Amino acid sequence: MAVIQEVARTRGAARERRKGDGKAAALFLAPWFVGLVLVTAFPLVASLYLSFTDYSLLEAPGWIGLENYTAMFSDPRFFQALKVTFTYVLVSVPLQLAAALALAMVLDKGLRGLAFYRSVYYLPSLLGGSVAIAILWRQVFGADGLVNQVLGFFGIEGVGWVSHPDYALGTLMILNVWTFGAPMIIFLAGLRQIPAMYYEAASIDGAGRWRRFRSITVPLLTPIIFFNLVLQLIGAFQSFTQAFIVSGGTGGPVDSTLFYTLYLYEKGFSSYQMGYASAMAWFLLLVVAGMTAVNFLASKFWVFYDD
Amino acid sequence: MRVTATRAARRRGVALTALTAAGALALTACSGDSGALPSDDDGGGDGNVEIRFAWWGSDDRHKTTQQIIDLFEEKNPGITVVPDYTDWDGYWDKLATATAGGDTPDVITQEERYLSDYASRGVIGEMTGVDTSEIPADILSTGEVDGKLVGIPTGVNAYAMVADPQIFADAGVEMPDDTTWTWDEYVDIAGKISKGAGDGVWGAQDYGFNEAGLNVLARQKGETLYNADGTLGVSKETVAEFFQTSLDLMANGGQPDASRSVEYQNAGPEGSLLGTNAGAMGVWWSNQLGALSDASGHELELLRLPGESEFERTGMYFKPAMYYSISAKTEHPEESAKLVDFLLNDPEVAKLQLTDRGLPANLTVREAILPELAAADQKVADFMAALEPDIVDNPAVPPNGANEIQDIMIRINTEVLFERMTPDEAADAFLKDVGAAIGG
Repeated sequence: MAVIQEVARTRGAARERRKGDGKAAALFLAPWFVGLVLVTAFPLVASLYLSFTDYSLLEAPGWIGLENYTAMFSDPRFFQALKVTFTYVLVSVPLQLAAALALAMVLDKGLRGLAFYRSVYYLPSLLGGSVAIAILWRQVFGADGLVNQVLGFFGIEGVGWVSHPDYALGTLMILNVWTFGAPMIIFLAGLRQIPAMYYEAASIDGAGRWRRFRSITVPLLTPIIFFNLVLQLIGAFQSFTQAFIVSGGTGGPVDSTLFYTLYLYEKGFSSYQMGYASAMAWFLLLVVAGMTAVNFLASKFWVFYDD
Repeated sequence: MRVTATRAARRRGVALTALTAAGALALTACSGDSGALPSDDDGGGDGNVEIRFAWWGSDDRHKTTQQIIDLFEEKNPGITVVPDYTDWDGYWDKLATATAGGDTPDVITQEERYLSDYASRGVIGEMTGVDTSEIPADILSTGEVDGKLVGIPTGVNAYAMVADPQIFADAGVEMPDDTTWTWDEYVDIAGKISKGAGDGVWGAQDYGFNEAGLNVLARQKGETLYNADGTLGVSKETVAEFFQTSLDLMANGGQPDASRSVEYQNAGPEGSLLGTNAGAMGVWWSNQLGALSDASGHELELLRLPGESEFERTGMYFKPAMYYSISAKTEHPEESAKLVDFLLNDPEVAKLQLTDRGLPANLTVREAILPELAAADQKVADFMAALEPDIVDNPAVPPNGANEIQDIMIRINTEVLFERMTPDEAADAFLKDVGAAIGG
């Protein structure tokens, strides 16, 4: 009896304390919550509404129903933007992750001066999305740029890597692959988590280097690979700066780098079709959400959680 | 006792939450505007009025404009002018966003491709209370939309051929007579310069990225890019001919290959063929002569575009560099008009900004600053004075959606340069895309 009362009292106290914690939590969450409502949620809802209007920015919006969405599907440049973006995402993200994993494995060998190398390889991630680097790339990959001068040294005549419609998107993909630093750091942390005894045991059993990589590293790293994949996919869908700078804001040459976000921006701010741009934004949201959902569903079949 | 303590604590918690929320609100509100908007507006009785003046430009322009504002405030006690400036690229995004937020500046700098969009949507209103008597009627009329004066031209530019006599001489080619040269002669001359001047030097930079050249050609043939009623006024044949010239120039080596043309196009005056001494000719707006000359270090000349005596009439025209407009919703129309009047007509203003906003449209003011001009600007003034009698008329204000033509022109011209479209196909695509932009 006394025990029961004691338990009840402790429970009550715990509940009391939890209530107090809730208030403190609310207090600490308030700035974030207010920010979320004002900066994210409100614009989100507003843009959903605007996507059903003919909003021009200069005049009040007027309701036009689904017209923006139907117009989207008869707009050839909209499909060009989708094509460019999907090509970019599907090619550059896997390459980037492969590069990140390869570098992480090399660095995991415990080199001297590891911190230095880690920082050096991480640098492009910090700089890659910046305006300055995009301008630098425009120079380096120009028809008379550094890359072609090096190629010319070997007797190869290069092309205008960012000004030729057949090569411009490829050059931007390389720029994206080059920013592998952030996923690399995460891979590095993941590699450190794999107990050394697995490798030792496998070595004793006679497993070679490739076998150890395939049967130990990859399965144990799948949660990390999955995490990186989701993040990088979402990021790649939203790429904007590089294409904007390299093409002078046009998505050129001839729409070969017309990223989805670039076209959206052009529609909203230079064609004054903010309603159409909002509809495009919502379509992108659905596409990215869909891709992520597929990713999560598929993850059941290949991601392996050790616990 | 315990109860009150909890309640007090709860109350404190609520208060704190509210305080944090308010702080966050204030923070986001602050980052939302440019920080240039004080809340203590006119205040009613004391006669202290605040107006906001928006313009785009370089650091130099920002500095001189601030001096001009100081001068205005000195002469007009009781009026405070709040500067609101940015570079060209950001200007239109910012202006559209401010307009959407109901925070339109009182005095707005405008450009011909945007004037109609803003006027027809009622963002800028009819200009009243500004003395325009010193501005020639044919230039003033370029600020009219639907018969109403909605923008007053600050100054004028002409789209002209900039030439480098030194490279002509190096190549052993004579400078052309620009009143009689034809488009074919232009192609021919450019080819000869490329041959004569040696490796890495070309005759001309590709001209197809800017619709102004097409407008000149169209006008020479008795057509025009846009009719006064806002429809397209150029024929398919003329557009195709315009693009064909670029192909001819690539074929005879008169201009660089497609990739390089795209790169030079993106490089601005400083990185252009003329600016880097890698070419003898290029088409530019006349006010860029100074920047081009500085970059090249050579004494550059202005020529009329080819074909001025080849077809039906001359095609060259004066384009207002920019306009001053006044917000239709301004609370201080009189003070705003006073500022515009001062900017346009005060000789001291002109002496500060010289030709930075185009060769002044006000003729008296232009006369007054002539002796103060730098060598390149002097050349521009002389060129414009000689050109004036041969100009038939100036084009009407481009229709709504005309700002999209910049991107369309760049896209289609690139297709032509890379030979992914024939000039004929390009002409069709041009008429279709521009038609859609200005029809919508």
